[in-house]
Amino acid sequence: MSSHNHDTNDTTHYYEGDQSKLYSGIMSHHDDIKSPESKKQLKRITKILVLLSIITIVEVAFGLLFSYTMPRAILNTIFLVLTLLKAGYIVAVFMHLGDEVKSFIWIVLIPLVLFIWFIIAFLADGDFWLWMNNSAQLK
Amino acid sequence: MAHSTAATVETKPWGGGRSPFNVSYGKMMMWFFLLSDAFTFGAFLISYGTKRFFSAVWPDPNHVFHAFPFAGHMDLPLVFVSLMTFILIASSVTMVLAVHAGHYGDRDGVIKWMLWTIVGGICFLACQAWEWTHLAHLTGGLWGTFTDINTDPAMYTGFYDTNSEAFKAANPAELTEASHNFFNFFFTITGFHGFHVLSGVGFLILILVNTVNGTYHNRGHYEMVEKVGLYWHFVDLVWVFVFTCFYLL
Repeated sequence: MSSHNHDTNDTTHYYEGDQSKLYSGIMSHHDDIKSPESKKQLKRITKILVLLSIITIVEVAFGLLFSYTMPRAILNTIFLVLTLLKAGYIVAVFMHLGDEVKSFIWIVLIPLVLFIWFIIAFLADGDFWLWMNNSAQLK
Repeated sequence: MAHSTAATVETKPWGGGRSPFNVSYGKMMMWFFLLSDAFTFGAFLISYGTKRFFSAVWPDPNHVFHAFPFAGHMDLPLVFVSLMTFILIASSVTMVLAVHAGHYGDRDGVIKWMLWTIVGGICFLACQAWEWTHLAHLTGGLWGTFTDINTDPAMYTGFYDTNSEAFKAANPAELTEASHNFFNFFFTITGFHGFHVLSGVGFLILILVNTVNGTYHNRGHYEMVEKVGLYWHFVDLVWVFVFTCFYLL
């Protein structure tokens, strides 16, 4: 790091202040909250909120209307897909992960994708136990 | 190699002296903490799923969660929990607006939106408290309940879909065990989540006080609001999954 003259009373370089200014390229700091680009970001936020609400309403409607009529496997797949969609929008837009550098996005997403494998494995395990116990032969 | 943006120093990403991800240390560590917490919650939900798949019969959420405050004994399946989900998502939106205000240095905006987020969090906690109290008092569910195989079936048949094959084929041992497990998991997982909401509200209040005092204005940026916002969104995300696993699947 290049050295620069510090004001002897300037302790801000001990805090993350400098770091934030260094890496503010992605979410750089502006001044006017009424500017057009600010309004554009606000519109995007509202759009995602409406989308999330619609997805939730659709999920609950499916849960109420089709709980006893649709095959459980199809219903559950629908729920899981919609939930993952909601999660994706919240992480990408609300948490601004979509605005970060690609390598950082991978760092967060890859463990979560592997986690899905973990989920499937253990649910299959529970299912197997049930089958095993139900089909046990008594000598 | 990640291309650097206009505001960063033009060096190799992994050459040292800079963050390879163009993100500050504090924010990156918050993301890593959220990943670890996601695994913890995930482990809880997976154990719930495994236990549930392992059981011959399991309570039906539509039958367990059908109450609404001040609605007496009306049968309103999933309505109250949908309200709770909406409250938490709304508080997530107000948090995004607070972060947005922070990017533009609008201190009054940050204060306003953080206050709304805190209100949303407290409303959610109040709703969860009502749900817990209602379940514990009216249905008799809590940790360690339904352990007696000779419990009067009228106490627990209300939790099940009595028209299902699984229920008709089940014996009292399986029904009491499933009821016992269901409530254990429900109170543990929603309790652990509620604890996160509570601590989240605590952190939000702390950051709000700092904002009012001008700490972040003097620092020159509102990144702390962003970081606590990440935590709050995580809490919302976990609820989305808990809601799906317990009430929908």
